[in-house]
Amino acid sequence: MLLADFLDPRTIVFEQRILTREQIYRDIIERICLFHKDILSNYDDNLLRAILDREKEAPMVYPSGIAIPHIRLDGLADTLIGMTFLQTPLNYDGIKVDWIVMIFTDKTSSKIYLNIVAALLKISQDSEIMNQLRSFNNGIEVINYLRQCKIKVGQELSVADLMVKNPVCVTPDTLLSKLDSLMNEHNISCIPVVDNEGRYLGEISILDVLKVGMPDYLMMIDDVAFLRSYEPLESLFEKEELVYAEEIMQKNTRVLSSDASIVETVYHMIKDNKRYFCVVDKEYLVGIITAMDIFRKVIKA
Amino acid sequence: MSATVSMLIAVGIFIGTYILIITEVINKMLASLIGAFLLILTGILSQDIALRAIDWNVIFFLIGMMLVIAVLRRTGIFMYIAIKTAKLARGNPLLIMMLMFVVTAFSSAFLGSVTTIMILIPIILLICNELKITPVPYIIIMVVASNMGGAATMIGDPPNIIIGSATDYDFLDFIFNLTPAIIFASIACLALMWFMYHGKLKVSRENRAKMLSYKEEGLIKNKRMLKISLIAVAIMLVLLALESILKIGTATISMSTGLFLVLIGERKEIEHIMVHEVDWVTLFFFVGLFIIVEGLVQTGFISLLAHKVLNLTHNQARPTSMAILWLSGILSAFIDNVPFVATMIPLIKQIGTVITEPNLIDPIWWAMSLGTCLGGNGTLIGASSNVVAVGIAKKNGLNISFKEFTKVSVVYTILSLIVCSAYILLRYF
Repeated sequence: MLLADFLDPRTIVFEQRILTREQIYRDIIERICLFHKDILSNYDDNLLRAILDREKEAPMVYPSGIAIPHIRLDGLADTLIGMTFLQTPLNYDGIKVDWIVMIFTDKTSSKIYLNIVAALLKISQDSEIMNQLRSFNNGIEVINYLRQCKIKVGQELSVADLMVKNPVCVTPDTLLSKLDSLMNEHNISCIPVVDNEGRYLGEISILDVLKVGMPDYLMMIDDVAFLRSYEPLESLFEKEELVYAEEIMQKNTRVLSSDASIVETVYHMIKDNKRYFCVVDKEYLVGIITAMDIFRKVIKA
Repeated sequence: MSATVSMLIAVGIFIGTYILIITEVINKMLASLIGAFLLILTGILSQDIALRAIDWNVIFFLIGMMLVIAVLRRTGIFMYIAIKTAKLARGNPLLIMMLMFVVTAFSSAFLGSVTTIMILIPIILLICNELKITPVPYIIIMVVASNMGGAATMIGDPPNIIIGSATDYDFLDFIFNLTPAIIFASIACLALMWFMYHGKLKVSRENRAKMLSYKEEGLIKNKRMLKISLIAVAIMLVLLALESILKIGTATISMSTGLFLVLIGERKEIEHIMVHEVDWVTLFFFVGLFIIVEGLVQTGFISLLAHKVLNLTHNQARPTSMAILWLSGILSAFIDNVPFVATMIPLIKQIGTVITEPNLIDPIWWAMSLGTCLGGNGTLIGASSNVVAVGIAKKNGLNISFKEFTKVSVVYTILSLIVCSAYILLRYF
């Protein structure tokens, strides 16, 4: 399926004025409602409110400068798309967005919707296509160009689309104290370990850090309910300046490549009972993918 | 194939396998199974004879005991007793050592030495760490205790289980003949311990107070299940004691107890218990050994060896039993004691066809049992519990070298073998 086939030139707009997010959204919703009278009732403020509320929960905005607000309607049985290219970018909590694509979809359809999101994301990351799109001034040109580029709906989202790029990482000679403060500061529970060139070596989770304070013999005891105050856990702090990342990192754990699919990622997360994976391309660390990222951007979307 | 060639091949496979077992080049279960099936492949044993050589009574008895222990362990009773013991000693390090010796020996006598060690060594590491004293002497003493305790009953150590299954001796015979020997040997060892360590281990008041603050009451989570388990184990011991009258079969007694306890207490955990708490690797190691030793029996090598031994001791029971005691003691210090016993059983059975009087052959069996179990203390590699204990210590950054271990353990081994020699000579001759 081509993305172009989902679009209607009448719901594609190039906006010169400086408007608020709400105004732009209302404008798109009105257009979609107007040109799909057969299946939609007249414009209704409830739709706008629903979209804004959903956005508050999980903003569908991506670093490449695209926002994809959407709404699921009962019994719509179709996917409707409206979009606006902005002359002046809007600020979405620090991300400058100049392309807003709104999707109306059925409550039950998820796959096509996700595929459309993936296709849009791919376009937004391709500066050549984006520059071309911005140079147009009407919907017909946009649709023709997208048809010409053969932008398909159906390529799955991949890890690269959802991962955190350039995550906080450390080298093997990092002291435990430094690791602790990084985890604390960035509120993260896993840190990849890389060499000086950025090659992936291993990872350290919060449990690996806590384990420094737990001797092996404690782990071999059936039950530690009889221990109230146990000193070795305090030794974690004593060891902060003595233990290096290298000594506690997990080696040979599973990593994913950036072109791995989301289903593969979730599959491994469930199988390995792990909430994150380091993303490694040709030995080099490129990102981290977490279950929460997938949950927020795919499931809740 | 001529008889001599068959015998040479069987002996070759036997020696090859035992070298692999002793040196641990490959996993010992793998070695024993390869040796066993090689005997069938080469035609030394038919598959039929080989499979019939497996002592299923031993295998199922052990599975039953593993089930019993899995359930009993979950009641928290072991932890409770260990912590209670340390607190009873009021943190006195020498007293802790002596009480731990007794607890370890007692527990090993009824539940097996390896299990006891796996449960108690981590706890002694914790206690020593809390008291800021070195755990090394404690670990060695507890290993010594586990091997001695295991020697005291028919169900304590695999060698005794195998002897019990291969002979007509029952649970009570083991108690009457072996337990007194072990009690005497233990008293001697406790005296030696006091002599070696008194006044040498010091604990500060502060660290003692920490250990005394342990709250062991919370460790028993399910009192009802604990009561049921202890009653079931008591009934099992009574049934084992009455086995010569009841003739149920020891494997059936332990399996019934194990299955009953799992059914009552842990039926939801049965798959986990079957996979993770029944030690299939050890069981199949034994399966392989039974077949390999059958190769030696079928090809006539064992009877050849028995005649050589009897020639040396001039068919006399007294020197034979002394020779067996000390030879077993020395050899099983270096060879895992189960393969050793598996080989010795047919040998002594063969000797039994020459020395037929029961009161003369009995001491030979008991000498072998005591020698094998106590000999396990001789070196670091003498018995499974030694290896397990040192392995746990090593995982905790505590390297106990072969020399360090053996320096202490060999003293206790020699002392206990001397006590047993005196016991056998005074009681049976």
